Amino acid sequence: MPGLRTIAREKSGRSALRMLVGGLVVAAFAAMAPAQAQDKQVLVLGVDISDARNFDPARMADYSSPITNGAVYDSLVTQKPGAYEDVVPSLATGWERLDDGQRIRFTLRDDVKFWDGSPLTAEDVKFSLDRLLNVKDQPAVYAQNLEKTEVVDEHTVDLYIKNPAEPIMINLAAPAFAIYSRAMTEAQGGVSTPGAEQEDKATQWLNQNSAGTGPYHMVQWERNAQIMLQKNPHYWGGEVPFERVVIRHIGDSAAQLLALENGDIDAAFNLTTEQLATLEDSADIDIARGLSLDYVYMTLTSSPELNEALGKTENRLAVAHAIDYDGIIEHLMGGNAVRPVNFLPIGVGGSTEELLERIGYREDLDKSRELLAAAGNPDGFSFQLSYANAAIVGTSYQLLAQKIQSDLARVGITVELNPMDQVQLRTQYTGGETQSVITFWNPPSPEPQLWASASIERVAKRVRWEVPQEVKDVVAAAGAEPEPAKRAELYTEYTEMLQAQGNYILLFQPIYRIATSQAIEDFNLTAAGWQVQMGDIKPSQ
Amino acid sequence: MIRYLITRLASMVVMIVLATLVVFLISHLVPADPILAQLGDMQAANPAMVAAYRARWGLDLPVWQQYLIFLEGLVHGNFGVSISTQRPVLDDILQYAPATIELSTIAFLLSVIVGVPLGVIAAVRRDSWIDHVARLLSLIGVSAPTFWLAFVVLALFYGGLQIAPGPGRLDVVHLPPPFVTGLYLVDSALAGQWDVFRNAAAHLILPSTVLAATTLGLITRTTRAAMLEALGQDYVRVGRAKGLKERTIIIRHALPNALIPVVTLGGLAYAVLLSGTVLTETIFSWPGLGRYTFRSAVSLDFPAIMGITFLVAVVYLVINLIVDLSYALLDPRVVRQ
Amino acid sequence: MSALAGARTPAQGVGETPPVDRQRRLRRQLRRYWLAVLGAILVVAWIVIAILSPYIAPYPYEQIDLTQRLLPPSAEHWLGTDMLGRDVFSRLLVGSRISLLAGFSVVLIGAVVGTLIGGIAAYAGGRIEELMMRLTDLVLCFPPIILAMAIAAALGIGATNTVIAMLVVWWPKFARLARSLVIVQRNQEYVEAAVNIGYGPGRILLRHIMPNSMGPMVVLVTLDVGQAILTFSGLSFLGLGVIPPVPEWGAMVAEGRELIQQWWVAAFPGFAILTVVMGFNFLGDGVRDWLDPRSRTR
Repeated sequence: MPGLRTIAREKSGRSALRMLVGGLVVAAFAAMAPAQAQDKQVLVLGVDISDARNFDPARMADYSSPITNGAVYDSLVTQKPGAYEDVVPSLATGWERLDDGQRIRFTLRDDVKFWDGSPLTAEDVKFSLDRLLNVKDQPAVYAQNLEKTEVVDEHTVDLYIKNPAEPIMINLAAPAFAIYSRAMTEAQGGVSTPGAEQEDKATQWLNQNSAGTGPYHMVQWERNAQIMLQKNPHYWGGEVPFERVVIRHIGDSAAQLLALENGDIDAAFNLTTEQLATLEDSADIDIARGLSLDYVYMTLTSSPELNEALGKTENRLAVAHAIDYDGIIEHLMGGNAVRPVNFLPIGVGGSTEELLERIGYREDLDKSRELLAAAGNPDGFSFQLSYANAAIVGTSYQLLAQKIQSDLARVGITVELNPMDQVQLRTQYTGGETQSVITFWNPPSPEPQLWASASIERVAKRVRWEVPQEVKDVVAAAGAEPEPAKRAELYTEYTEMLQAQGNYILLFQPIYRIATSQAIEDFNLTAAGWQVQMGDIKPSQ
Repeated sequence: MIRYLITRLASMVVMIVLATLVVFLISHLVPADPILAQLGDMQAANPAMVAAYRARWGLDLPVWQQYLIFLEGLVHGNFGVSISTQRPVLDDILQYAPATIELSTIAFLLSVIVGVPLGVIAAVRRDSWIDHVARLLSLIGVSAPTFWLAFVVLALFYGGLQIAPGPGRLDVVHLPPPFVTGLYLVDSALAGQWDVFRNAAAHLILPSTVLAATTLGLITRTTRAAMLEALGQDYVRVGRAKGLKERTIIIRHALPNALIPVVTLGGLAYAVLLSGTVLTETIFSWPGLGRYTFRSAVSLDFPAIMGITFLVAVVYLVINLIVDLSYALLDPRVVRQ
Repeated sequence: MSALAGARTPAQGVGETPPVDRQRRLRRQLRRYWLAVLGAILVVAWIVIAILSPYIAPYPYEQIDLTQRLLPPSAEHWLGTDMLGRDVFSRLLVGSRISLLAGFSVVLIGAVVGTLIGGIAAYAGGRIEELMMRLTDLVLCFPPIILAMAIAAALGIGATNTVIAMLVVWWPKFARLARSLVIVQRNQEYVEAAVNIGYGPGRILLRHIMPNSMGPMVVLVTLDVGQAILTFSGLSFLGLGVIPPVPEWGAMVAEGRELIQQWWVAAFPGFAILTVVMGFNFLGDGVRDWLDPRSRTR
């Protein structure tokens, strides 16, 4: 050992090794490609698109694919960012309800062309919606209230509704209801008649191309690599700002950050809270913010068979009053989240931060202890909290669960953590076998009724809550109420009922942040499902 | 020799059937339904939709029938369709395997090129400083957790010094070369895209070095031990007595004999590299088979799990066979025995 | 180095051999086995830490304080704090318990089970032996990740279940070694003598053959504890190991793996794994040298 240093200077077989290492380092240097000057004909987005499996509007069920489909397809109606209570015209200029609301008549714009130059007609609308219903894949579930479609004339189409009391207009803005060209799709084996689930062969083509009216059209999808979009020369909304859009798959957030800083991409979609914090003061990079309609929530079962203590309402409320909500949002989320009162996220159905102030759960350990005493468990109790071993909007369920465990320990409630993989959690949770879970809600469209009915139907079953008729009546009344103020009132009434029940504890609703370069502007985020208003983005002036 | 081969191949088939059967049974014991995780929340509550999806993957059939269908598909070279990626498992494997093969082959070559000479020198200069250093290095190499080593080199050379490229197979500016083999080094060279070649090579440096650490230690130590054994043999003494040059004795006589155990271990080490890269791949965001395997297991993707199990069993058994056969080439006595 | 100096002093002037001679021999031994000594020191140190960790950790390992999250190493927090503001140093100390416990359990149980199966098979010979060999082959051709994950998924995540999953793939190497050792002993004269005396096979196996085969077993066991700790931490890194908030090194690295700026969260727990595994490997290497007669006489 002492002689090692002197001997190391001797000539030895080390030189070969040194040469090898040296060579490798040189290769590494050579590979650091210089930042390329951005040709502003092309917009490049860095996104984790590893989940994308399908771009066929009748089959699409992934989280990232609507970013693409939002840019290549239009629906009859659409929604403006931030205004999710209402729809605005898109391919349809207007609509009226006929036959007591059983039929909705849409008038189409007469100046719309598909990207191949052919005009949009009512036949295309019928074809697209019929195909959605008859292919019977996942998106068809959102169209359950749609009976059939009928062409009235070239620019008029009727939609027949099964239950007029259930809202449908906001659903129609969702990516599943995209309108595409009958001619182009049929040429690729597309079928819209009954039996389409077997006969339709267009999906493969629709995964590589698009047949829509949006500002861009798809020309290539290479799985886990990239999606290429080309400008639609016939776009009805005016001149399209970029020749091409490239959606590059970058799974690693550190690589996204580096690529953005090098100017290789114009926007980084999946940066972590810590990485975004380092960009806050950057002069070269902007951060686009948008409140999502997703949220992370925790459930508590009502069933005394699963957990005797949780079977008592007071104990569930005691849990709800012992969580440090502000700490989670401020520190784990870096302040980039809000908290809704209960199942309706902020931004829909009259759910606001003022409402949270008024009727939301708040951290109040004394109240929590009182509730425990009232339930006959003054020394607390214990329950099992299940969660998936996964990351979630910049943090992880594991961290959240540990935070909640330590919060509840303050009032004597013992939380046994029960991590598992996503599949098992899903199986146990949907089967109603969990005492408590932390999980994520991502809505298919911003229709308040979708949340409300879920919370009193399928999710209520999972927490084994026997929903009283009066709650169901309030939800039904809210769904049928056309007047926004009255609707909000009814939804508030429903929310108070959920609050008293204590089965759902909303933890936070994230504000999504996307870092963008200074080379582009008008990067508007939306919570309506397609994440970003692709048609708005322009090169900086 | 041919009879030996036939017996070996027959036992391989039995082993593969057994291995896939065991994995099939264990994975079906897991109390979870992979379909539910593939459906949206609303869809998972819709019995018709769930039934349609279950039928699509034959999950509505009795378990034994599902296994027979798997075997039948296997005979026709059909691994079925992955539940989570919804495309043929074979396509998935063909996409992910080259990334892993490229990485582990480079790592393996690295550890052989460095490990064998190091082991030989350590044996020849026994108890010299180089022997001690080789021993220390190889012991540290087999002791370091690869996932940690991967993190450290990435934090240091990429995050800190910024002299190495980050995670992934290529920088963002580069597109993968046209698919021929899926090995980026080969494909980019075939296409003459030398900038892509350089970038792919640079991206391979850190992960392959990390991966090589363990194997390097094993190969160095095995080579050293085998060389010591060989150098103690009579023919070496005879050679020395005949006045042959030391270099000739080492390279022409001792080394070939010493290589037998090295080949055995090397073959196994390569098999381990191929199936054991999941930790390195996770840290380096390497789109390889290790991560695909992990994801398939997590999502209980039966067709993918079975496809990979089959593949790993075949690779393991074939490498074993090759190892045994190369024994025969290096030492003819083995077959005669 | 200090170990070397410290060990030399008490030897001086003791015994009948001339002090200089004795000293030289000791020095030569230490030169030869300094790695093993270093390994032993590392192992003992970690075992002591594992036992004392609840008393010497400066903070409770589960104490969460979000206002103190991701602080760099400082006088208050020697190794910084993690994403929940917990003290990394305290968690690292307590983390040694689960790693050592898991490592020892896997190897000891694996060794006992493997040796029994291998020993019995070899002693019985014939079809049973053949069956055992094929079974070990079978285990070796599974993709270990899939097997471990499937078992963990079937049993549930947790340290005990992870150890069980590891045992499934761990016993064959002991079984194979035990078999080869027993085969060597089986034909020895003393075994024949024992058979002639009329001892039963169980007694011969346990009382005669096994003790005579212990040496190589001991080496494999010591070398293997390090390997088992490494594997356990790898599975834990993938999320199979322990249920939080109990600290485990592999899981700690996993938590910090995306924090390249806050390197201390992942770097230190990984370094702890390195040192303890190194300890076992150094020690095992030395023990092997010591037991190997060819390398001893020189």
